[in-house]
Amino acid sequence: MLKIEAVSKKFRGGNYGVRDVSLELKSGVIGLLGPNGAGKTTLMQMIATITRPTSGRIFFHEVDVVKRPNELRRRLGYLPQDFGVYDNLTALEFLSYFAALKGVHSKARVLELLESVNLHSVAHRAVGGFSGGMKQRLGIAQALINDPQLVIVDEPTAGLDPEERVRFRNVLSEIGFGKLVILSTHIVSDIESIATQIAVMKEGRLVTLAAPEELLRAAEGRVWKTVLSSEEFERERTTLKISSAVRRPDGVHIRFVGSQPAGGATAVEPELEDAFLHLMNRDAPEIAAK
Amino acid sequence: MNDSFRRITAIVRADFLLRFRRPSTLIVFLLLSAFAYVWVPDPATGRALLQINGQRAIYNSAALGMATASVGMIFVGLFGFYVISNAIRRDVVTRCGLVVASTSMRSTEYLAGKFLGNVSFLFTFLGGFMLSSMVMLLVRGEARLEPLVFIQQYLLLTPPAIVFVSAVAVLFESIPWLSGKLGDVLYFFLWMAMLGIVISQEATGSLSWGRYFDVSGFGFMIDRMQTTLHTESIAIGASSFDPAKAPMVFNGLTLSPEWIVPRIGSILWPIALLPLAAFFFHRFDPVRTKQTSDKARRNWIGRFQMLLKPLSRRIVRLLMWPTRGHSLGSAIWIDAVLTLTLFPLALVALVGCAIATVALEQPQSVLPVVFLTLAIVVSDVVTRDRRGATLPIIYVSPRLRENLVWWKLGSTCVLALTFCAAPLAMAVSAGGLRFGALFVGIIFVAATATALGVITGNPKTFIVAFLSFWYVVVNERGASPLLDFAGFYGTATTQTVLLYAMISVIAIVAAHVAHRWRLAQS
Repeated sequence: MLKIEAVSKKFRGGNYGVRDVSLELKSGVIGLLGPNGAGKTTLMQMIATITRPTSGRIFFHEVDVVKRPNELRRRLGYLPQDFGVYDNLTALEFLSYFAALKGVHSKARVLELLESVNLHSVAHRAVGGFSGGMKQRLGIAQALINDPQLVIVDEPTAGLDPEERVRFRNVLSEIGFGKLVILSTHIVSDIESIATQIAVMKEGRLVTLAAPEELLRAAEGRVWKTVLSSEEFERERTTLKISSAVRRPDGVHIRFVGSQPAGGATAVEPELEDAFLHLMNRDAPEIAAK
Repeated sequence: MNDSFRRITAIVRADFLLRFRRPSTLIVFLLLSAFAYVWVPDPATGRALLQINGQRAIYNSAALGMATASVGMIFVGLFGFYVISNAIRRDVVTRCGLVVASTSMRSTEYLAGKFLGNVSFLFTFLGGFMLSSMVMLLVRGEARLEPLVFIQQYLLLTPPAIVFVSAVAVLFESIPWLSGKLGDVLYFFLWMAMLGIVISQEATGSLSWGRYFDVSGFGFMIDRMQTTLHTESIAIGASSFDPAKAPMVFNGLTLSPEWIVPRIGSILWPIALLPLAAFFFHRFDPVRTKQTSDKARRNWIGRFQMLLKPLSRRIVRLLMWPTRGHSLGSAIWIDAVLTLTLFPLALVALVGCAIATVALEQPQSVLPVVFLTLAIVVSDVVTRDRRGATLPIIYVSPRLRENLVWWKLGSTCVLALTFCAAPLAMAVSAGGLRFGALFVGIIFVAATATALGVITGNPKTFIVAFLSFWYVVVNERGASPLLDFAGFYGTATTQTVLLYAMISVIAIVAAHVAHRWRLAQS
């Protein structure tokens, strides 16, 4: 469905936002994972035809979208990062506006989308008074209004409370079969339950593209848990790649990523957060002897 | 309806709703209606709206229509630009533009939508002004209301201005280096220059091509007055008339054959600016919009500023030395110095103003330029925190939340007094009144910049208001002592000084009340 060939984006001044990324994606939910500044947003903007790659090509259904962007734009739904709204419009007017821009003229479709994101009861309220979560749901509604084949959502859960995050995740997981959804985030829990594949980016490059199970398998035997005293924990916290730490009466229970067990550490089953940490820190130093 | 038409209509409708649902639009609309009441005085008071050749024109539909249309055209031409020149910027800020860019809508459709949105807003606004003027005819008229005659006068005078302003706003917003403060200032002079050229051409009867650029309609008006009434002596605006002279009946402007093509041409040529806008339009490409916001690094002013940075850093470090502790005085000083850090060119302007004042034989002749520069420098001192989203950080600093108005007033006063230090020093020897006028003039600029910034949250309000005022003052050249607010021409009187001191106090009190009210609301 979507093929990215050696795509790079070089900014003025010589810095690369994205460097030599190649991907081939079929339908499903793709989690684009990476720390801040990894190039996720730039890559998504290039796919969404908002900015052009400096080099490389992007194909959607065999069509070069850099040369013919409208072929993709007609079948694209895009929710940018930090999406704002026009405060003085009602939800219905706001969605109708984007529907018209995307060539959708059915009011029924607008109402249907408002209902699907659970905003139908506030359809006639000005969106300026909406909470962050409601605005994001309105954002996803505009992205879906033209029944797109490719949906790109950039950091959609940033700034949302846990309840809204779960609700938003559910909306995304219900988008439907046969579509390609690319969801970027730096929060692993946003995608661990819904992503069929995960692409990990670091410093503008693609580190890996794999199914979550493969990522977990790659981290097997590299995730450990141990209990450290408070002093030891303070000493080790800067050198260890710790994925979780919980203080208990007997000390600090930590879970960390490393290639070799040391001291009293025992191997544990990796979780997606560990796998991500493992990919980000392949040169992680090992635990010092207790 | 095809998709293009639907998309353009959607943009026009959304822009229209967004603008007309803003409380500020409603306030301006009501003020304009109230202004019509003041603008059309009762002839029994000895004042009239329109005088031709010294004779009062009887209030009929033609006279009131023509006079109020010319006033409305000035509003549209001058203030309209500043009201509408944020349509594209809004889409950048809200990031809705990114969604727009990801649709199959063509850039030309988007810009056409924004242009027509501007046109429809200004037409509606002017339509409202026309209706309130018609009401004034019913209230104070001396003839029955003829709506078609009234509308005819508006249609003859205002469409070119509406189209021109709408197109220039789209063009300026599409060109990175014109989409900010520089564009705002440049537009003011562009409008004034066009006005001046057309009027002077018509007055001297030279160059007929100038009629195609008569977007203000003043050239047309002067020519028709000369042709039909054999005079170019016309006064529009509430002013005293000679009751000894009999009132006259003005039947309105008519479109003579030689003006048909120029009037249509002056509506059409500004539309040609739109393809130019499309050529420069960024289509919300973040790489290009980032350059728009970071344009200081790219344009010549920005490059010059970057060259000055090493020098300004050293000067700023020296200036920061006295700032110890957490007093309001320290905060004022830091904010003033921050302006010089952000805008190193101001340092050059400051030194330039000082040298020019000392070097010139008549130091006061440099004052208009000093005040113009000062206005540009201080215009966004008050609003930059809101626009940079640093206001919440400032509000948690000791005392600044409640004292924002005093803090910003202090900061603008420090800058203003520093800018005018040399002229002030020279004015000491010129006498008490001259010094007093200059001092109060400086405080007046600082106070109005602060007040308008606090109340509207937009630097454009002060820039437009002050530039308009400055233009009138400079053109008056001291003929009206009350306008010589800073003693530019040495005609300021004690009354002048007291008047501007009072305006300054009222402005600051209003700003303080507005700020406190806003805090209470939040």
